[in-house]
Amino acid sequence: MAPRNATASSSRAASSSISRPVKSNGIAGPSTIRNKKRAVQEVSEDEDDEEFGAAGSGIDMSDDEDAEEEDEEVDEEAFPEFDSEIEDDNEQDGDDETQEEEEELDDEESGSESGYNSSDIEAMYGEADEDDDQEDYSPITSPSSSHKELSTDEKLSKMIAKNSIKPDDSLGTDAKISRAKEGVGRLVPSKLVEGGYKREYDDYEAGYGSESSTEDNPNTVGNIPMEWYDDLPHIGYDVNGRKIFRPAQGDELDKFLSNTEDPAAWTSAEDKLLQQSVQLTDKELDIIRRLERAENPDADYDPYQPTIEWFTGEGNERVMPLSAAPEPKRRFVPSKWEHKKIMKIVKAIREGRIIPNKPSAAKPTVYAIWSESDQSNLQHAMYMPAPQLPPPKTIESYNPPEEYLLTEEEKKEWEETDKEDRKIDFLPAKYDSLRLVPGYKNLVQERFERCLDLYLAPRTRKVKLNIDPESLIPKLPAPKELKPFPISTSVVYRHPESSRVRSVSTSPDGLWVATGSEDGIVRVWDLGNGREVWKWNLKSGAIQHLSFSPYKDECLLIALVSGKIAVLSPLALVSPSVAANTLTHANTAFASSAATTKIGAGKDIKGVESIKWVRPNESERERGVLVYVEVPGTPKQVSWHRKGDYFATVASDASNKSVLIHQLSKHSTQSPFKKLPGQVQKVIFHPSKPHFFVATQRYIRQYDLSSQTLVRTLQSGVKWISSLDLHPRGDNLIIGSYDKKLAWFDLDLSNKPYKTLRYHTKALRSVVYHPTLPLFASASDDGTIHIFHCTIYQDLMQNPLIVPLKILRGHKITDGIGVLDLSWVSGKPWLVSSGADGEVRLWCS
Amino acid sequence: MAKIKRKGESGAAKNYVTRNQALKKLQISLSDFRRLCILKGIYPREPLNKKRANKGSSAPATFYYHKDIQYLLHEPLLVKFREHKSFAKKLARALGRGEWALAKNLEDAKPVARLDHLVKERYPTFTLALQDLQDPLNLVHLFSTLPTNPIPGKTLVPSSVIAECSRLISEWKVWAIRTNSLRKIFLGVKGIYYECEVPGQGGELVKVRWLEGYEFQQHVPTDVDFRILLTFLDLYRTLISFTLFKLYTEENLVYPPPLDVELDERGESVGAFRLVEKKDNLGVESSKVSKKAVRKAIRGIKASTGDVDADVEMDEDEQDGNEEDDEEFVERPTKSGEEVEDVATAPLTTYNSLLATSSNAASTSKQNLLFSPYTFYLSRETSSRTWEFVIRAMGGKIITSLNSPTPSDDSITHVIIDRPITVERMREMENGRKWTWIQPQWVADCVNRQKIISSEGYHPGQLLPPHLSPWDGEGELARPWLEDQQNAAITAAQEEADQEEDAIERDAPEEEDVSEDEDVEDEEETAGSKYPPALLASSLDPENVSLLHAAELEAEQNGVSHSAFRNQLKEAIKANAKDASPKSQVGKKGGEEDLRKIMMSNKKAKLYEKMQYSNREKAAEKENLERKRLAIEKRKRKEARV
Repeated sequence: MAPRNATASSSRAASSSISRPVKSNGIAGPSTIRNKKRAVQEVSEDEDDEEFGAAGSGIDMSDDEDAEEEDEEVDEEAFPEFDSEIEDDNEQDGDDETQEEEEELDDEESGSESGYNSSDIEAMYGEADEDDDQEDYSPITSPSSSHKELSTDEKLSKMIAKNSIKPDDSLGTDAKISRAKEGVGRLVPSKLVEGGYKREYDDYEAGYGSESSTEDNPNTVGNIPMEWYDDLPHIGYDVNGRKIFRPAQGDELDKFLSNTEDPAAWTSAEDKLLQQSVQLTDKELDIIRRLERAENPDADYDPYQPTIEWFTGEGNERVMPLSAAPEPKRRFVPSKWEHKKIMKIVKAIREGRIIPNKPSAAKPTVYAIWSESDQSNLQHAMYMPAPQLPPPKTIESYNPPEEYLLTEEEKKEWEETDKEDRKIDFLPAKYDSLRLVPGYKNLVQERFERCLDLYLAPRTRKVKLNIDPESLIPKLPAPKELKPFPISTSVVYRHPESSRVRSVSTSPDGLWVATGSEDGIVRVWDLGNGREVWKWNLKSGAIQHLSFSPYKDECLLIALVSGKIAVLSPLALVSPSVAANTLTHANTAFASSAATTKIGAGKDIKGVESIKWVRPNESERERGVLVYVEVPGTPKQVSWHRKGDYFATVASDASNKSVLIHQLSKHSTQSPFKKLPGQVQKVIFHPSKPHFFVATQRYIRQYDLSSQTLVRTLQSGVKWISSLDLHPRGDNLIIGSYDKKLAWFDLDLSNKPYKTLRYHTKALRSVVYHPTLPLFASASDDGTIHIFHCTIYQDLMQNPLIVPLKILRGHKITDGIGVLDLSWVSGKPWLVSSGADGEVRLWCS
Repeated sequence: MAKIKRKGESGAAKNYVTRNQALKKLQISLSDFRRLCILKGIYPREPLNKKRANKGSSAPATFYYHKDIQYLLHEPLLVKFREHKSFAKKLARALGRGEWALAKNLEDAKPVARLDHLVKERYPTFTLALQDLQDPLNLVHLFSTLPTNPIPGKTLVPSSVIAECSRLISEWKVWAIRTNSLRKIFLGVKGIYYECEVPGQGGELVKVRWLEGYEFQQHVPTDVDFRILLTFLDLYRTLISFTLFKLYTEENLVYPPPLDVELDERGESVGAFRLVEKKDNLGVESSKVSKKAVRKAIRGIKASTGDVDADVEMDEDEQDGNEEDDEEFVERPTKSGEEVEDVATAPLTTYNSLLATSSNAASTSKQNLLFSPYTFYLSRETSSRTWEFVIRAMGGKIITSLNSPTPSDDSITHVIIDRPITVERMREMENGRKWTWIQPQWVADCVNRQKIISSEGYHPGQLLPPHLSPWDGEGELARPWLEDQQNAAITAAQEEADQEEDAIERDAPEEEDVSEDEDVEDEEETAGSKYPPALLASSLDPENVSLLHAAELEAEQNGVSHSAFRNQLKEAIKANAKDASPKSQVGKKGGEEDLRKIMMSNKKAKLYEKMQYSNREKAAEKENLERKRLAIEKRKRKEARV
């Protein structure tokens, strides 16, 4: 380091001190005011910092030298230019003050350009203060800020000290500056300041350790390969630029001689820069020696010096194992880079690019949010707005009509029901005047529950059917347009002792009604007046079923009793020709075989042996009993073929012989099925085709008798078929079931019912088509008979029209059984029904 | 080949998410999610098939629509929530470290969530907002009467919020008064219901109904979660303030209307607001305005020097309207001191405002200004909050104090009183003036009927006629007898409005009617016993000769002449026919219907049954009501006889 020009530096310090305004409380610090902007800045700072000026001045006013010294040092650390620190101890003290001041000044000058200036930071903080001036500035804000503040205070005090102390006084006070007082330098008149003096010092004697001592090299060529000078007479230049000529070098022999002669030759080395051999000093030799021995080159270094016990040993015990090692410097020296960043921001703030804590342009709290051109969103299918609260009803009035008030029972009921189940959520009350109305207790609760409903209750879209319930009822022609049909009872045929009439049948000529009751008597009644005209007592239990032959030229009646089929004919009632026809038909077979009993009817089918066609005795024959057929089991149903020669019987308890087809003219019996698909309920012949329908519990099977094949199976969908009838045209079928259903099958359409109707409240017992008119009827255990109209169109595309016409009531229910059997009177819209109450009724239009 | 559909990739499984799934997706806490749901109007759904929506599990779960949650991901509010969360952390840390300045800084930069965008998003048009205004108004009304700590020790309601609520309802009422848009009022057990007609988008009138509880301390159950209510209130306050802004702006008024502090402190709710016209298009009219203003000011000074009643204050609009009608320089009948000051100091009403009010007055139909010719004096036990609003909205004037005798007392036409008072006291108070003394229900009934009804039956201490809901037609049973009664009462009252014996006279015919009714009933009841049995049988089957013969014989036995017997028979037949015909028709019809129902499909039959069920319920309810009514009438008759 070159010795400084002290005169210049002191004068500059003086000038700066003049220009600087003396402040008691400002923290403007050492910043030199160079432009107006800065000045303005400082003024503003002045105003702002008055608040904490007192605290700062407390420190300032102390005249303690050490404090000031420390201040300066801290200052140095805060704005690091570190080079002077190392020298502190070694340097001569006299130089110290000026040097430091100079450095400070240098800092200031450079700071204004590089932005690395304490005043900048202060300015920044000052500005920060400016913006939140309401805020009381608490010193605990952050460690860094407190440090900053400390430094500013110190700077301030230093400033004050500098400016308030006269140069002479300072010489007296400052211990370090007191070298000048010791008279090391000498005062000479200054050339620059009129009448002023400056102090001149002697040049330094640079010793070892001084930078210049090691650099004491006359050749200034620097660190270049010296062979570049090999061809030249000189080897470089000295400080003054003069050539240094190559020293005379002897040849190899001279070298050798000198080596051998000179005892110190081996301790000399060649200096390449000066091209001459230099004698190494003892110290240097010692270093070389140490290096050779791989020892520490420093002779003073003691590897075995005693350890200093910082933390252990007597008096050094620590409660907390904290390090007492001095704080590393980086802990308290602010980062340069952070400082640079901050300075950028400060600059931006100064230039107005950044306005700190600018209130953001806040939206007004209310503004026109809706306009006339608003479009409501298209409602999505998943959009379900909350339902509005319904308007209050009169019942909520404080003064409702009296009938709205709850009676005692209703009140009790209201109190007993759960809160959620109540129809109204308050108790209606009547007050004589408005002032008597109390506050409503549940208002808050209700609002709260509404809120909960709004955001917690799951919503679902319920389609409210806005249809007239009448429109659900199908449009059908009025019953009165579909007359005639039976409407009321006109004749009642009463049976003695009210025995159940299981079966009823009308003769094909429409004159007679035959009934079979549980007392075992078959009665024939005059249809028109209800007089009993004929009866057979078959004496073998209840009459299960009976049926007139549909063939009009004959008058044949088949009655079923347990184990027996009786072929009867009220011969005395019918015309002689019909009686004759009947007799021939029934007896031809007897005539041909001339036997009273015929077995198997000439068929050799297995198991038919037990079936006997028996001719009754004379007296019975006179009464009109034509033939007995003895069959296994109890036949329950008989069904005639259209032509009146064949008839089929069903005896469900006769295992594989439950279905039998009998031919009257030949007295023969067939069992068409070797094995039956189930328990057969009913059978019926097809009116026109050689087809045969067998109804088991759930299915109806259609067989072709000629080809002996199964044509189709109808699935009824009911649990237990009770009755079966086929439309006279043969393409529609109805069944009744014990599970209260009636099913209509369209045979051309499907194997499943076209319609299943459920209107009876109890099991159906009988369903019958009218043989000629578009009517059918169903009878049930609920004691009613339903009459329906059914039009079957020729057009296959058109569904049959079924119209309920009338409910006939009259039969009484006895033992849970109502109407048992039905029979239409052929050619007339009349119906005969038999009931469990022992009555048979004729229903006329 | 069609793409194979895999389970859980479409339909309900995709459309719905459970609440927990939603929370995971949004990465927020349950309470934040709830808040978001309330503010955004997101609600759980009820999927058609819960099991499918829950991916096969039948555990109970709340389902949300998947897209609702998806949209929530982009919600700016969600960002605010997160910001707030981090802010709260920072603040807590700063406070914990005692860094007060930092905390202060943080507090200043606290993220504030605004709900404007939600209002616009949930109610894209003004009409939609109005349609959904019922709940907001109800809640705001409720909160305006709550204390700051509704449940001690739990969530506090900031007093600023309560103040804002009461400000909002006052502003709402001020608007309703100015536009005379109140239509219905119903005094219920729970509180008072009001209905306004509010012009929505394009002038479409929307009915807004709200409930205001009676002025009592509210009972607050401890299980009410006020955080939820406050979240709702946040949204509702925003919605109402925007709605009010729109309404005020359309009326060309400044929103928010400046509050007269002095009046507010005196406990005026509605009257404390000054409506200020916007001064956007002054232009040419300004000169006129200034003249008017000057006149006003001069008059104000005059009036203020005179003796004025401090408590009397009137609707400014009303006065403006009146003034427009008045000739120039006609002294206004009432003028209160503080109002004068207001006129002098407050922004002056412009010509436009006067024009607007006058046109407004002209456009409003007569019923809006039902009470415009009247001045009401409110007795101190009546709720001025309610009746002042209602009467002023209907164009009437209000006087609340009679303390100082002013000329305004002379203008009083009606006195609303809700306590019994002796006639002497009434005369004393009237002091020679003609006042109509009525109970508050009269006002409500007038508003609902939209005409001035007779005050008979509404005098103090009288038993009031029943107060019916004005929304009777909506979802209420039809009660023809009620209307009949009312009509009868009204007509009777109108006919004999001024007569003293009106009530007695009206009672008499009623009684007569009643007795007639009773007679008829009795006749019906005794119809069976009135005629001898044979005659009755004959009348039942007039064509049967044998029966007729038997009846004749009977008559001979009883000593009835033949002609008398004939007449009797005719009567009996007629009566029976009357009796029988409806029944038989009904029966026949019923039977027919029954038959046709046989042919209904199962599905339709079930639906039909359901419909019939609700009809039956209603019918039963109606029958119950009717039965009770008859019983009560009978009891009353009996009491009257005794």
